Amino acid sequence: MHWYQWMALVALGFCVITCLFYFLRLIRLGKPQDLSKPAAKTGPGILFAFTGAMSPARKESALLHLPTYTAGIFYHLGTFLSIFLFFFIISGAYPSGYLALLIMILLSLSSLSGISILIKRLINGNLRSLSNPDDYLSNVLVTLFQAMTLFVMLSASPFLLFKDFSENFQMLYYLIFTILALYVPAGKLRHAVYFFAARYHLGFFYGRRGVWPAGKMKN
Amino acid sequence: MKDFSKDKKKKGLEVFQGNDDSRLITQVNSCVHCGLCAETCIYFQALHEARFIPARKVDLVSAIYRRYYTLTGKSVPWLTGARDLDENTVNEMIDLMYGACTMCGRCNMHCSIGIDIAHVVQTGRKMLANMGYVPASLQSTVDSAIRTGNNMAIPKDELIETIKWLEEDLRMEVNDDSATIPLDEPGKKILYTLNPREPKFFPLSISAMAKIFYAAGESWTISTRMYDVTNYGYFSGNEEEATIIAQRLFDEMKELGAERLVLAECGHGSRAFRWEAPNYLGTEFPFEVITSVELLAEYIREGRIKTDPEKIKGKVTLHDPCNLVRGGGIIEEQRYILQHTVNDFVEMNPHGIDNLCCGGGGGQLAMGEYNERRMKITGMKAEQIKKTEAKIVCTPCHNCVDQLTQTNASYKLGVKIMTLAEIVADSLE
Repeated sequence: MHWYQWMALVALGFCVITCLFYFLRLIRLGKPQDLSKPAAKTGPGILFAFTGAMSPARKESALLHLPTYTAGIFYHLGTFLSIFLFFFIISGAYPSGYLALLIMILLSLSSLSGISILIKRLINGNLRSLSNPDDYLSNVLVTLFQAMTLFVMLSASPFLLFKDFSENFQMLYYLIFTILALYVPAGKLRHAVYFFAARYHLGFFYGRRGVWPAGKMKN
Repeated sequence: MKDFSKDKKKKGLEVFQGNDDSRLITQVNSCVHCGLCAETCIYFQALHEARFIPARKVDLVSAIYRRYYTLTGKSVPWLTGARDLDENTVNEMIDLMYGACTMCGRCNMHCSIGIDIAHVVQTGRKMLANMGYVPASLQSTVDSAIRTGNNMAIPKDELIETIKWLEEDLRMEVNDDSATIPLDEPGKKILYTLNPREPKFFPLSISAMAKIFYAAGESWTISTRMYDVTNYGYFSGNEEEATIIAQRLFDEMKELGAERLVLAECGHGSRAFRWEAPNYLGTEFPFEVITSVELLAEYIREGRIKTDPEKIKGKVTLHDPCNLVRGGGIIEEQRYILQHTVNDFVEMNPHGIDNLCCGGGGGQLAMGEYNERRMKITGMKAEQIKKTEAKIVCTPCHNCVDQLTQTNASYKLGVKIMTLAEIVADSLE
């Protein structure tokens, strides 16, 4: 393995351990201690928080911003896919054939989605007013990571155009991955851990009070 | 602003230290500033200023957390927008937490991540309350409740006089000299609470409920010592004061030995006692707590009262109080009641758990300094009402009644605002 691959693995280790620390802290703090008499079971509310409540049909913010919502879905799919592919790429086991083509199409879409989200943040005054350097940096890093995953995939494919840059792409890919992995616990990207906890809490709250999944007569 | 000091800052930051569970720490670490919550907020919709976006309110609290409790915030605060808790931050917090949020929770349901934004705002209010920055007008409402037992400082004699007058009225109306509005009677099934606005401004809503209790043959009483369903300590963010108020109602329930506590038509009061008070007091309640909305639905369902929808003339629409629907899961009961009491019912759009706040929640009605803003944001509700072409707006919350009454006058809607009990009482056979 090259030095930059080792560097990426060390960064990944740091990222995983830190995120695990965040996660364990949440577990240690535990679920809400609520002494009020529940109106309903929390389970269906929590399930709904992770499913139906996230659909544009029930989420006004998604419905009113369908292009952004769709871009966000692709962007996150691309992120998960890129992380998944990292393990294949570092072990040299590249996907091939139609699977590789499908992955590259998806990564193209997700990278474009990342760029579109960045552009929106730059040009929309309301969004700009909410943003801090972390918002831009996080977006740029994740988008670059996806784009580099795409280029590394391309360089391993029959497209000769990219063959010549294979070594450079590899180094850049691992360098960006390293920066990203080191940055995840420091900025807003740590929502990767807290997102699940947030939806759990919202589902717990509304489930317990009988608001989600759907309002029903209490007796 | 009163002098800001290190001691106050320390007290403000204490809210992040007592993490009883993972809820708060989750919420202050979750916002990604996507801004999609903007249109869910009536303040942003009505006033079109970026500072009113719910994410901005979340960020004010989260930025302080980041500054003092994260490595990045401590070492490179500019990178993540971490903020010092100083006079500027406090001033902005007062304006946004108290003056630009009704804690209606509409943004919660539509947040991309799932942050309980109203809870974060409540945390911001707690910080301000810890530092002694509750707006004086809101604090005076809390003070009245603590000093006199009710937020309008109604003397006991005045309450008794009003109730006795209403009792005579009831006797004439039901043509029964034995009809009563029982006061301080122990061992009854129900202890019924009041919103102090009722004896002060809307006594007919007490009459309405008394008439319904009479028709249902209910065993009930009102306490003259502690009848106030409201708890403005919940809105001010001062949990100690909220606890004092809740404790009094809890004690009165035990004193009178009633089986069920029925919370009058008051959104935040219902939420504060039904859902928050057990946690303030650190105990599960040994008695049943229900809202009057649930009770009315129960009476109709069990046939204890008979209603005639023909008696209510004109199209009726319903305004859902945020704390009852989103904060308390009372969503279908009011609709069930209206199905049985009016013929011509039309829903607002949106309604139920997606309803728009009337603008009077979160203690806004008690804070005169934000009146102008409050009356601007209620324009959206006025538009909703206009579109229904209803003649009667029913709402099971006296706070909403107050706000909608002002909305009605300001926007010249020409509608009648009624509580659910009034609708039911008027439709009794």
